[in-house]
Amino acid sequence: MTAVASVPAGTTRAAAPAVGARRRRRRFPWKYTILTLVALPWVVLPFWVLLVNSFKTSREAESPSVSLPKTWAVVDNYRAVLDQGHYLLGLRNSLFVAVPVVVLTLLLGAMAAWTFARTSSRTLRFWYYVMALSIILPPAIVPTVYMLTKTGLTGSLAGYVLTLVGTRVGVIVFLTTGYVRGLAPDYEAAAQIDGANKLQVFWHIILPLLRPVLFTSAVMTVINVWNDFLFALYMIKGSTNATLPLTLYNFANSGMYGVNWNLVFAHVILTSLPLVVAYVVLQRRIMSGLTDGGVTG
Amino acid sequence: MSSSHAMTRPSADAAALVHSPAGSGARAAARRGGRRLYRLWFALPAILLVAFFFAVPFLANGVLSFTRWTGFSDEIRFNGLNNFRSLHQLGILGHATFVTVAFAVVTMLGQNVAGLALAKALARSDRANSVFRTVFFVPVLISPLAAGYIWAALLADDGPVNATIAALVPGGFTYEWLGHPVTALVAVGLIDAWKWSGLVTLVYISGLNGIPRTVLEASVLDGANAWRRFRSVEVPMLAPAFTFNIVLTLVGSFSALDVIFATTKGGPGDATTVLNVAVFSQYGQGLFGTSSALSFMIALLVIVVAVPLIWYLRKREVHA
Repeated sequence: MTAVASVPAGTTRAAAPAVGARRRRRRFPWKYTILTLVALPWVVLPFWVLLVNSFKTSREAESPSVSLPKTWAVVDNYRAVLDQGHYLLGLRNSLFVAVPVVVLTLLLGAMAAWTFARTSSRTLRFWYYVMALSIILPPAIVPTVYMLTKTGLTGSLAGYVLTLVGTRVGVIVFLTTGYVRGLAPDYEAAAQIDGANKLQVFWHIILPLLRPVLFTSAVMTVINVWNDFLFALYMIKGSTNATLPLTLYNFANSGMYGVNWNLVFAHVILTSLPLVVAYVVLQRRIMSGLTDGGVTG
Repeated sequence: MSSSHAMTRPSADAAALVHSPAGSGARAAARRGGRRLYRLWFALPAILLVAFFFAVPFLANGVLSFTRWTGFSDEIRFNGLNNFRSLHQLGILGHATFVTVAFAVVTMLGQNVAGLALAKALARSDRANSVFRTVFFVPVLISPLAAGYIWAALLADDGPVNATIAALVPGGFTYEWLGHPVTALVAVGLIDAWKWSGLVTLVYISGLNGIPRTVLEASVLDGANAWRRFRSVEVPMLAPAFTFNIVLTLVGSFSALDVIFATTKGGPGDATTVLNVAVFSQYGQGLFGTSSALSFMIALLVIVVAVPLIWYLRKREVHA
């Protein structure tokens, strides 16, 4: 879920609201009653069911319901996730993957975007289009796995990290190149006249100017990489390297007598927790970054 | 909230107008001497990674689709259309393609209808709307796998969905939503839509707020009511947001797998076996050639559907 298309920039915000604002204000309670009625089954109910059933015993959670647990099994369930669910190992692996992928995609993406935006070289333009294509064309995982096997990178987190960077950096390059094109080259020229080399120009001039678009890109990349299951399924072998989505999947399929909803849900909660906490903390910036046209460029 | 990243991108022409002498000077300077190579070096890491982990595997996949390639032998040999023929004889090729398209259409429609409706309701940036935007975005954060598990429980025979319906209709109610082919396919599609619609909403909100106030005011003066304003002003002006959302939700769901793995695992029977699920099952049997062939089908679907779609939607943008 990322780039392409360009929502008209320039005249953002403060536009539509004025029209009929008075009338809307009078309808205020109505609108929010309906929205609340939609939000209840849409968001509140699913997450409530997730939460309360993660507190129940396996037997009680067998038919998942909205009621509070009769017997509370919080400690047992979450301890099972930590022990049999390999949660901490998964968390460590997920961090080992997400941090380098985000840093590398943003840094390498911004470097490439600056070059693409300022160049007139045909070769570079060709690679820019390849990167744009990588956004919509599906990844070819089987040949990638074969390639990794041939180079001895298979099963390791390094191979997985590089693959994720190679398949996600295109979006960031695409978004960021458009953004750099809208920046006047004056700053760069001035800095060079003052004797800065290219690396200094990039680090001190370009990167700070790109903060808004890189922040939005970082948000999308984190969500994307933290939740990746498709690539992990093919590329990570065994439980020692398993990232959180993979440990969740293995854990959910380890039940001998069907799915234990209480345990699966406890794992889902712990797996989603890092992103939800980050979201709660950064919520205002994330929302404004995404609604101000950040996703569409 | 506003400050550093209130993304009002300086428009390209304005920049060119004001800064053109310095700009072309810098570019001319860059064209001279070794500086261009230095810049090439800057783009090189990203180019190499995209080449090795996207371009080469993608092209290789196209070739490998026409080979006999298994996990039981080191030999990879061309075998023409045999992979496609055998997948067709097994009833996998056509069926999985159909299921994939149906799944993608359900997901795309679900996301865009919900997203546009929510965007219309939440377009104004006030405090109450911010709260609702935040709430509706929460499903975007969780993994599709987690979304699948949550909804599998909600839709279980004795789960909350059936319990709610049973409370509303007389005579009790139970239905295996994920146990019947049609409802299972629609359900998994809508679960995927549920997971992403918060993001689609934000893109539409951004589009709605990008419509110049003057245009809307003019339509009010011309006596347009709310519906007319939506249909004749907002929908055409939203064309870029439509292009973005429709293309990406459709293309994205051609490669879906997670939600299905967490809910139906391709069943009942093969009712929700989309191409990517079939790719994995061929791969799991060591049949890499047929696996690549199915993966090639996804690429074909994207090309056949996305290219005309982008062309058509872009054309609308020009007229709008």
